[in-house]
Amino acid sequence: MPPRPNVRVLRDIKARKGVVDNEISRRAYLYVARNQTLPAQVRYQAQLQLNTFGRYTRPTTVKNRCTVSGRGRGVISEFGLCRYQFRLKALAGELPGVQKASW
Amino acid sequence: MASAPSRLAALTRLRSVIFQTSYNPTSQRTGAKYLKRRLRGPSMMDYYPQQLSISAINKEFGLDLIDEDEEQRLQDVADKKKRGKGAPKKAKSAADSRRAQRKR
Repeated sequence: MPPRPNVRVLRDIKARKGVVDNEISRRAYLYVARNQTLPAQVRYQAQLQLNTFGRYTRPTTVKNRCTVSGRGRGVISEFGLCRYQFRLKALAGELPGVQKASW
Repeated sequence: MASAPSRLAALTRLRSVIFQTSYNPTSQRTGAKYLKRRLRGPSMMDYYPQQLSISAINKEFGLDLIDEDEEQRLQDVADKKKRGKGAPKKAKSAADSRRAQRKR
């Protein structure tokens, strides 16, 4: 059984769910708020509505963490692993095409 | 011979009709990019691999399997509490939380 995801990973998953649930309505409000051809009053109201969305509905709150250890820094995005897990897996030969350099 | 501005404007209008693009000579922001952009949510949900947990299985199939790690954790918490080593009570007011800070 894989290790339990830590609380930061759970929070990140929560943020991802929030983004999925609110993406379409957020886009609609963004469209109205950023549309210069619409009256200023309407755009302002749309911007106010955008501000009422919670923090876990914005795509920028989502962070790609290590999929094994949940580490937030030093994540090699191509593999979704932090540098240490990457090293462990690479040395164990679990990453196809990855080899330890030697010359 | 230089072309008149009105002729150039007519040309751009005609061009947008022929190539079926929107005619926007003043380059106003229409917000179209927020509608055209692909939705990022679905691929975001695929980032972490699916986690199997006993509690999730129980909820999905209505089973009553016992998660030994979780049982052990709850047991440890109860034991600690019995020895007076439990988590402190949540502060009810701002004054309470300040008092807790000072003790540390």
